[in-house]
Amino acid sequence: MKKNQLCEVSTMDDLQFRRGIYADPHNKDKTFTDEVLAEINSNPIKKQLSNDIKQLDDKIAKAINVEVPEGLVNKLILRQTLVNHQQQKRKSRIYLATAASVAFTIGLTFNFMQFSSAYDSLGDYALAHVYYEEAHFNNNMDAKISLASLNKKMAPFDGRFLSSLGQLISAEYCRFDEMKSLHLVFQGKTGIVTIFVVPKNNSLSFDDKFKDEKLNGTSQSFDKANIIIVAKPNESLQKWKRTINDNIQWSI
Amino acid sequence: MHRVDNHKVIRNKANAKQVSTNMITKQIRYEVLVRALHTDLYRYAYWLCHEKQVAEDLVQETFLRAWRALDSLKDEKAAKSWLITILRRENARRFERKRLEMSEYEEMSIADNSAVTNEQQIENNWLREKIALLPEEYREPLVLQIIGGFSGEEISKMLELNKNTVMTRLFRARNQLKDAFEKEPVMRGQYNG
Repeated sequence: MKKNQLCEVSTMDDLQFRRGIYADPHNKDKTFTDEVLAEINSNPIKKQLSNDIKQLDDKIAKAINVEVPEGLVNKLILRQTLVNHQQQKRKSRIYLATAASVAFTIGLTFNFMQFSSAYDSLGDYALAHVYYEEAHFNNNMDAKISLASLNKKMAPFDGRFLSSLGQLISAEYCRFDEMKSLHLVFQGKTGIVTIFVVPKNNSLSFDDKFKDEKLNGTSQSFDKANIIIVAKPNESLQKWKRTINDNIQWSI
Repeated sequence: MHRVDNHKVIRNKANAKQVSTNMITKQIRYEVLVRALHTDLYRYAYWLCHEKQVAEDLVQETFLRAWRALDSLKDEKAAKSWLITILRRENARRFERKRLEMSEYEEMSIADNSAVTNEQQIENNWLREKIALLPEEYREPLVLQIIGGFSGEEISKMLELNKNTVMTRLFRARNQLKDAFEKEPVMRGQYNG
């Protein structure tokens, strides 16, 4: 009975030992304590098994260590260099594209804020436009624009003036609610008088008369265009309107 | 005012220099990593997929990913297990793709027997076949232990397994290979011709 028990213990011990030595032949996981290792060394059978497994492991290592393709190092470094280079290029393209789209957006926003419909009537728009360009004009500027060159600019609107309306400081096309319009600046009594010639198809609602604390305005609708006059309150808009009506001639 | 501008220019230059120094440092780190670990990594890849070309591709992919994530590698000592983890993931992706492509995958092609010259190589090739025939779950820890020099503890972390499971699998892997040696001395004799 006792002998049997001993046997069993020894078998258990043996199995444990075998498992340990197979799983961890070089004792990396400290499967065996130094004492047990010493014991293994002193037991010829265990020592033999331990050596066998180490030998087996050498063979496995030789078999597992397959040949590595020649030049793999260089390939790895080269590939990384190429990819990196492309990324760099792509990155700078992205930066450029980002810069371009930022610039584009700013431009768009600028235009939008300037000219688009935060305003819903002709009058509001005209006033805003006059204030926006206020700095460019004053009443003492040279007024040298001839009737001929004014009429040249009127041509796209199918209109012309028979005689001069007043002293003309500036006659330039501009965008009025995203439409090509004519922006005229005349000398007035104490300040400039602005006249817009705006094409008819207009999303803004028509204001016959409008004003704010500094400027008055009036609009008149013709067949081919609207004409808007903006000036200081001391200016007679009625008189300007009459002059225009007397002189305008629309081609058929 | 002028001096301030000058300072700015100098500082910007210094920053640019710093950036390019970092790039160079990263490049050196990468190259050292490649040189030190590509052999182990290739062999590990080979035993995962059993095909030389695929193994090479896996290693290439792994190092590319490693390059991109190199800044996240803080501890150089952990580099090997880090790379192996990347490679395992890469292999899983490859497997997923292959499964989706429904391509027929075939018997594993084992190391070529062509240029066999001496007994040592004959034995190596014979043993390679046996290793290739081990169940995947026994082979992988064995390869990691032998190639990577990892402990059972480390392998259990990499494979996300219980350490006892890893030790049991290591035991079984060696046990099967030992059995193969004991059962097939004659076969090897025939190889010897």
